[in-house]
Order: sequence, then C-alpha cells, then structure tokens
Amino acid sequence: MINIKELEKRWLKYKTKSFMLLAFMVTIIGSLIYGGYYILYKLDFGGSRKEHKKAVMSAVRVVDKNISMATPPPTHIPTATPTPTPTPIKKDIIQLAPNIPIVDFDNNRVDIKKKPIEVVDVKHKKKLVKRVKKHIRDKLAKKVKSKEHKKLKKVVVHKKKIENRRKKIDLKVTTNNYMSIMKEKFHKYRNPRDALLIAKAYYRAGNYKNSEIWALKANELDKNSEESWLLFAKSKDALGKRKEALKILIAYYNRTKSPNAKLLIEKISSKSK
Amino acid sequence: MRKSKYSDIKSIFIDSVDNDNFVELPLTAFNYQTLEDSLNKPLKMILLFGKPGTGKSMILNRLYHNLKNIREIHYFDAPILSEKEFLKSIYESISSEKIPNNMRVNFDGLLKYVQYLKGKREIIFLLDECQLYSEALMEKIRLLSDTRVVKFVITLHKTENEDVIAKEHFKTRIWEIVELKNASIEDLEIYIQKKLIQKGFVEVANMFTPKDIKFIHQFTKGNFRETNKFLYTLFNIYEYYDIHSPEKLLGTKLSKKILEMTAIKIGYIHD
Repeated sequence: MINIKELEKRWLKYKTKSFMLLAFMVTIIGSLIYGGYYILYKLDFGGSRKEHKKAVMSAVRVVDKNISMATPPPTHIPTATPTPTPTPIKKDIIQLAPNIPIVDFDNNRVDIKKKPIEVVDVKHKKKLVKRVKKHIRDKLAKKVKSKEHKKLKKVVVHKKKIENRRKKIDLKVTTNNYMSIMKEKFHKYRNPRDALLIAKAYYRAGNYKNSEIWALKANELDKNSEESWLLFAKSKDALGKRKEALKILIAYYNRTKSPNAKLLIEKISSKSK
Repeated sequence: MRKSKYSDIKSIFIDSVDNDNFVELPLTAFNYQTLEDSLNKPLKMILLFGKPGTGKSMILNRLYHNLKNIREIHYFDAPILSEKEFLKSIYESISSEKIPNNMRVNFDGLLKYVQYLKGKREIIFLLDECQLYSEALMEKIRLLSDTRVVKFVITLHKTENEDVIAKEHFKTRIWEIVELKNASIEDLEIYIQKKLIQKGFVEVANMFTPKDIKFIHQFTKGNFRETNKFLYTLFNIYEYYDIHSPEKLLGTKLSKKILEMTAIKIGYIHD
C-alpha cells in the first residue's frame, strides 16, 4: 500500500518550493522591470552636473536677492547689535560667488572684530551717515530735555565722538576696484565665470549695456552657461529690448527646456502685458 | 475493507504484452500495416526498432496473434541467449519435433534441413529483444535467413540498433525497417481514452482533460511504458483516497494534487 501521508508531505514541500520559486521569479522580474524603467526614465547620468548647475542658479538667485535686499536704504540705525541676516544665505554667498562690494581694509581702520561691517553702496553710505546724524540729533534733543544742562556738554562730546567714529567707518565700496581686478583677471585667464561675474556686477549696478556685453563674452566662451543666457536676456530687457530678450530666451528654452528660462520668459512676457 | 473501482482501473495499466490490451492508434496502425505488408515481400529480415516502451513487443505480439492461424509463424517473446537452446528451439518450431535434453542441434545440419525446405515452406520467426543476442548467434540468424526459407522479424532498441545495424552483413540483409516512436499528445489522449473505454470505464475516461494529458505527456514523453506506470500510480493513489477519504474525490475531473503526487511518487518531480 502506498504511503500517502509521506507523499502528501512531499507534495506540500514541493508546492511550498514552487510557490517560493514563483514569488522569487516575480520579485526578480519586477525588480528588473523597475530597474529598467528607473535606468531609462529616472536615472539621468548627467544629473549631477545638472543638479550642480541648478544649485548654482539658485545660489545666484540668492546672491541677487541678498544684494537686492542690501540695496534699499536701511530703515534702522546701525547700532552695535548686528543686523539679523539669515545664515544659510550667507553660507551660499560664501560658497558660490564673491560678495561683489569689497571692503578696502587698507583705507579703513576699522576693528572688524568689534564692529560688524555693513556692506553698502556709496550712495547708501552717505544716506546712512545722514540718517545717523539725524538720529543722534533727535536722541540728543530728547536727552537735553530730560537731563540737566551739565550733562549737555558730555552728550555733545559723545555725539561728536559718535560722529567721528562713524566717519571712521569709511565703508568705501570698491566696485571699481572689483571691476578692474576682475577684468584684469578675465583678460589674463579668459575664464567665462569671471566674465559672468563682471556682467552680474554691471547688471546690479544698473549698467545694463555693459552687463549685456559681458554676458555675451561669458556666453561666447561657454555656450552652455545658462546664467550667461539669462543675464544677457535680462540685460536686453532692462535696455528696453524686450522682444529681443524674449527671442533669445525662447530660442534657449527650446533647446534646453530650462525651467529658469521659462520663468524668465513668463516674467518678461507678463511685464509687456 | 470495501473494494474500490480504482483497483480494477489501475490493473488496466499494468505493463503487459497482451493482445487484449492492444490499443490501436493512428500511428501504430500504420506501422502494423507496414510490417504485415513487408512479410509478403521476399525479404530476408525485417527490423522493428524504437526506444524502449514504444510498443515494439505489442506490435510483434499482435502480428503473431493475427497471423498465427494464416501463416507459419513462431514468436520468441523472450530472448534465448544460449546458442544451443536457440538452435534447438528453431529446429523444434520448424520440425514440430521435441528434441531430448541430452541431444543438441548441429547448425550445419539445421542449415541443410532448412535448405531442403526451400520452395516448400515459408516460415516466419518473430524475435523480440534481439539486442540481447550475441554477435555469433546473430550471424547464424543471418545465414538461416539467406536460405529464403526462414524469414526473421527482429526487434531492437534504438540505441543498440545503431550499433548492430552499422555492421555490413545486416545492412545488406535487412530490407525493411519499421521505426516506432513515442506517442504525441493527441496519440496519448487516444491511448488513455481507449484503454479505459474498452474496459468500460467511460466515466473515468471523461475525467481526463487535455491539460491533464499534457501534464502526463510532459513527464512520460509519450512513452507507453512510462504512461502505464504513471497511470497505474495515479489510480493507486485514487484507490487509497477512495477507500480512506472519499470526500477528497468529489470532483468530476482529475485532481491536480493527485497528478502532482503521482509525479513526485515516480520521481518525475523532485520535492
């Protein structure tokens, strides 16, 4: 007589093995399909480069933002307390682009460790000094009212001291120095990045004609530099050549499908409406 | 313990060379006819060959049973390995005389005796499993066939045949070769159905689906001996369940589980 119990056990073992094999096969096939899909559609071998470029773009935008933030005249009087600036932005600036306005340390005898340096433009510096003076005057007037006449002299002295001290903080912005250094550097090394930085500096300074020229120079040296394309178009736009700017951007967008170019196209287009 | 119907069914598939169990398939019918026709030709030897389990013995047996009353035909279903015994059996078959045990047949004498019968008689010998005969004995068979009085139908396994048939003396003498092959899926289905139906198990024959036949063919490759073994084991398991747990056999179709268990039992599937 046949040993059915044992045979049933063997059958059960066989079925379990078959099921496991099937599950394994399904997993393998599934993984292969997903892997293939991932390789074909998801994985971009040039991704790291693109990401880097993207990061650079975003950083440049941050720099622009930062600078534009610094451009309007300060509403508060600079005091000993440092103005709160978001640290990550600062970090980005350090990493990606030199802060264009450079403090000339040779001309300014300022204790940097003790006093935070406000990086401002020449015009802003004058406004700042005026505001400081006004503020001190107001403050002193208040103090005169509240305090005795004796103390008035001291306050005046103190005011003078403050004024003198403020004068000492000669925040001379060396845009010209920067330009000459950068131009010299560019002529020496022909680095498109330098040309781009010069173009940016010109753009920020409102010298759109020069920013257009330098963006073009940067672009001639590196056709794939998105920043140079965008800056060139922005300069054109700023010069009132909106149609030309759009033409350039559309041509660039059709070639690269760059989201930044698209954004700029939308921005310029919306302005023209 | 009650008797199960599967006990009778499984016995159908016991491997035996029995004319009653012969199942005529389109392929075997053609081969049989070729063989019968060749017996009417002036051939010295006819070779029937194929892999083990392709139905060689079955055809030989059928041929013998169909012709035994019409022609002078003798069937040696088991090989006679001793030369002395073989010559004795040949002589006894031709002369219908019983040779005493202490006497032996001289081959030259036998040859002369056969030659003497030329034009008077035509005797057919069916020799199964010829791959077991010695070369010396095969040479004597060749010499006997040269008399054109005795005609031999020999069966060989294909593998051995390739060795024997290569020899020149056989090449020139074998005038008809009938090769038997394994059954196709369609042939196997007919084989199983006919086997069951001719014994009255129509209901059981209907249990087999084409998928089941394909499953069986996958392992047996259409070999009749292997198929018989498979079906015997299958119905043996069915018999067990029928007696001990009949609730497991409620379906009208064959159980996939039992089919797989059969394959495991025989060793086609390794657990």
